[in-house]
Amino acid sequence: MTAFLVVVAVGAGSYLFRISMLVLAARAGLPPVLERAARLAVPVSFAALATGALAEDLAAPGTTLAPVAALVVAVVAVRRTGSPHTALVAGMPTLWLLSAVLPS
Amino acid sequence: MAATLTRAAPATAGGRTHDLIAGARAMAPWLLGIAPYGLVIGISAAQAGIPTLAGWLSGPLVFAGSAQVATIQMLDSGAAPLVAVVAALSVNLRLILYSATMARHWGGTPRWWQALAAYAIVDPSVAVGVDGYERADDRRGGHLRYAGGVATLWVAWVAAITVGATVGTGLPAGLHLEYVVPLFLVGEVVPRLTTRGVRRGVAVAVVFALAGRWIPLHLGVLVAVTGGLVAALAVPEEDDR
Repeated sequence: MTAFLVVVAVGAGSYLFRISMLVLAARAGLPPVLERAARLAVPVSFAALATGALAEDLAAPGTTLAPVAALVVAVVAVRRTGSPHTALVAGMPTLWLLSAVLPS
Repeated sequence: MAATLTRAAPATAGGRTHDLIAGARAMAPWLLGIAPYGLVIGISAAQAGIPTLAGWLSGPLVFAGSAQVATIQMLDSGAAPLVAVVAALSVNLRLILYSATMARHWGGTPRWWQALAAYAIVDPSVAVGVDGYERADDRRGGHLRYAGGVATLWVAWVAAITVGATVGTGLPAGLHLEYVVPLFLVGEVVPRLTTRGVRRGVAVAVVFALAGRWIPLHLGVLVAVTGGLVAALAVPEEDDR
């Protein structure tokens, strides 16, 4: 039930963001600091979320170096191609391959 | 919309259909990137320790992939509900910018149109929408192009999530799908490391996220996001190149 409520709350909050400037547009502009924070929010938030999730997974017993290698391969692949999707395209097969080869 | 559209030149049915289809066609290239993203979200919803339906509902209710990923990830990691909501909404702050962008085109339109059209404000719909208003013969044509693009996006997005959520439960543990979302997030961060502010913000967020793993209620992620944003904003805008 909590998960449903969270999803509804995020949906409602997101809708308020979407309608906010339509309501306020004629009255005031966006504060510059909020405009800048909005641009920065995605990379900063995603970095925090990815780090938290990876650290949790890597701390699990029996984890090998395969996820670390997959992470490195993913970063290199994205840097070389500029395409975010190559993180999964290159990283997941690396993970599968090394997980099969490396002892746990 | 009638208040605005009746002032515009009368459009033929063929013209209206043309604008709707033009909007749908303009959205088509976006679908190549969106479909895998939706699949990933659907699979992660099915694999996470939350009801699959709750994860799926994030599609039509939140309708913004980044925030959906954040929501599912936070719930799966056992974060407190309020922490999950704040983290997901911080990812969606950019929607305020998009709202300001679309407000320029929707001024004077009826409230029902604004209320409905605003629901679909997200990266691809804004890109296609702004382009559509520039290309259309009149504002009504722009509205129709936006509607055509959004309808296409919505159907494709929800369909991709549905497919992912359906097949996701039957996938073996050996696939290590728990790494799909973290790797996906990494893939989204790396191309954005283009300015000093972003690089500093990301570095601080990573350090804080590692150091904050022991903070209860998974507040460590929020601390990391806040710390990262403060560090990034501390870079003077003129130096942020």
